[in-house]
Amino acid sequence: MGETNKQVPVTVLTGFLGAGKTTLLNRILTEQHGKKYAVIVNEFGEQGIDNDLVVDADEEVFEMNNGCICCTVRGDLIRILSGLMKRADKLDAIIVETTGLADPAPVAQTFFVDQDVADRTKLDAIVTVADAVHLSTQLSDHHEAEEQVAFADVVLLNKIDLVDESRLDAVKERIKKINPFAKIIHTTKCGVSLSEILNLDAFNLKRILDTEPDFLTSDHDHEHDDDVTSLSFVSDTPLDMEKFQDWFSKLLQTKGQDILRTKGILDFTGENDRYVFQGVHMLMDASPMGKWPEGKERSSRLVFIGRNLESMNLKEGFENCKSA
Amino acid sequence: MKADSNKFPELNKTKFENRGKEFKLRIPVTNAITIGNSVAVGFGDGTVRIFRSGQISEPIKAHSGVVLSISKDGEDILTGGDDGRFLKISLDGEIKEIANFGSRWVDHVTAYNGSLVCTCGNIVYLWMPNKKEPKLLEHESTIGGVAFDSKGRRLAVSRYGGVTLWKKDYSNKWSSSNLIWKGSHNKVIFSTDDRFLVTSMQENQLHFWRLKDKTDSFMSGYGAKVKSFAFVYDSKFLVTSGSNEAICWPFDGNGPEGRKPICLPYVGNKLVTFVEPFPNENAIFTGLSDGSVFLSEIEKSTNTIIIRSFTESEVTTIAVTEDCSSILIGDIGGNILWTSIWDEEEK
Repeated sequence: MGETNKQVPVTVLTGFLGAGKTTLLNRILTEQHGKKYAVIVNEFGEQGIDNDLVVDADEEVFEMNNGCICCTVRGDLIRILSGLMKRADKLDAIIVETTGLADPAPVAQTFFVDQDVADRTKLDAIVTVADAVHLSTQLSDHHEAEEQVAFADVVLLNKIDLVDESRLDAVKERIKKINPFAKIIHTTKCGVSLSEILNLDAFNLKRILDTEPDFLTSDHDHEHDDDVTSLSFVSDTPLDMEKFQDWFSKLLQTKGQDILRTKGILDFTGENDRYVFQGVHMLMDASPMGKWPEGKERSSRLVFIGRNLESMNLKEGFENCKSA
Repeated sequence: MKADSNKFPELNKTKFENRGKEFKLRIPVTNAITIGNSVAVGFGDGTVRIFRSGQISEPIKAHSGVVLSISKDGEDILTGGDDGRFLKISLDGEIKEIANFGSRWVDHVTAYNGSLVCTCGNIVYLWMPNKKEPKLLEHESTIGGVAFDSKGRRLAVSRYGGVTLWKKDYSNKWSSSNLIWKGSHNKVIFSTDDRFLVTSMQENQLHFWRLKDKTDSFMSGYGAKVKSFAFVYDSKFLVTSGSNEAICWPFDGNGPEGRKPICLPYVGNKLVTFVEPFPNENAIFTGLSDGSVFLSEIEKSTNTIIIRSFTESEVTTIAVTEDCSSILIGDIGGNILWTSIWDEEEK
């Protein structure tokens, strides 16, 4: 089918009210001359958006009847993306702006679950705009703020001119604790090179290999149970594939609601290929991604972002997957 | 087959293609509606074109985006677009705007005897004949589909969580009842005998209710979402897309519960993307994801003939004229075949 088969990239902009989402959006739209964008906005948008093709969305979250209790999708996105794909003029990209109180999980899950959406579009990246002045308070007060940071591929830390260096460091530290693989970009008035937020292909498994996130073994202090944190594990001993699949699938089935995101590169005994995976709650995308590079040590690395991670015996579970 | 087709493309043309007209418009075909012996076709650039007596009209510039939905009111075409407009278009191309909702899409349109319906978000707008202002029927979530029954007394509105069934009493007052089934319901239709209501769901399955006692059940096992389905031959079968075969569920008697569907296979093993009943016959036209279209008799699966060979673009619409003389086939790549169904001598 040639051109009609090309997947249109979708960038999701999240962030609390007043963080600067609309400023960023208008920046994208005015700087990308000659490109055709569709912008999907929610009805509580802050200010005017300067684009020909603006679509109102309702942020309708649907539960899917696929036996997975936390599998929710954005019904309005399915409808709108399917409609946009019928257009005669081809879009260069689609940008979805969510409300400040939106949970990014159903948005991401829509791209895993709906075949039509997955065939014709791809989730490029989740970009979270955060206000350097208010983020700390928002993280303490609202689950949604934590989730938006937890799901981010890029955190645009905006309004840094309004905080001093020590406060900025503290905010960055807080972000890293929640999400070690988000790229943090400092801005004032959302001044960022668009190449840092568009066409990132962050959900492509290949990119997980390229970006090499901060997979350092973490040893966090015990957090408040409800806080979103991350834990990562590294093993130089190859893993037993059967044991790992057994442990991991049970873990996602039983704790998938608390596990927001996972990513990993795995070395299995007897396998020549690297196995790469990423997940959103219970949904997983996994694939062998070619041989281990020559001269590079093989190891397995795994990151979890979620709530109540301490209670899941992740370390013990992971250790038990090592080949005897 | 492939090598041959490169060398001798004309050899792979069907007799229907050879005697019909083909149009390569390169604009996605989104939907079509039969009006008498004309067919109005909606496109992804917002235009509507009318096909009659083997001819194609000039494009009617109806919407600025996509023609999302199409229906008819008597001899007029009704369309809803992603430019927020609900239009009535005459076969001569005259456009009348019934409503404009701005940046909100008009997702579904339908009509019955002069009563016009469009949906926008979670609201059904209903214009009764000769009334200027519409009646608003509000729902909890965005509407997936609307359908009148054959007498125009009931309006089914599918949505998240089930179907709202609106009923008109003799003083033209509408009251509603709910048919509940969890999940998101899309397209909805009544059986032609009004005994059943069927919806397609976000999951790869259909749901149905037997209206006399509101018993319900589902039809599953599909590999893809069921986007196209229709009742055939006085509701003897419900024919459905969403699989590599046309799945035909028996709807005579008490319906399909506990019974097996008839599955009609096609060469190439491609996904069935569109099904259209052959009027008054126990037969269907089936469009596939590679653009090919077949005509099959449901209970004689050996009786299948190819109408159109592949175009590599999925079939998005099939329409048959009221006198059953001609058929229009359209696909996502903008290829249209408009041809007579019968040979000269068969007429």
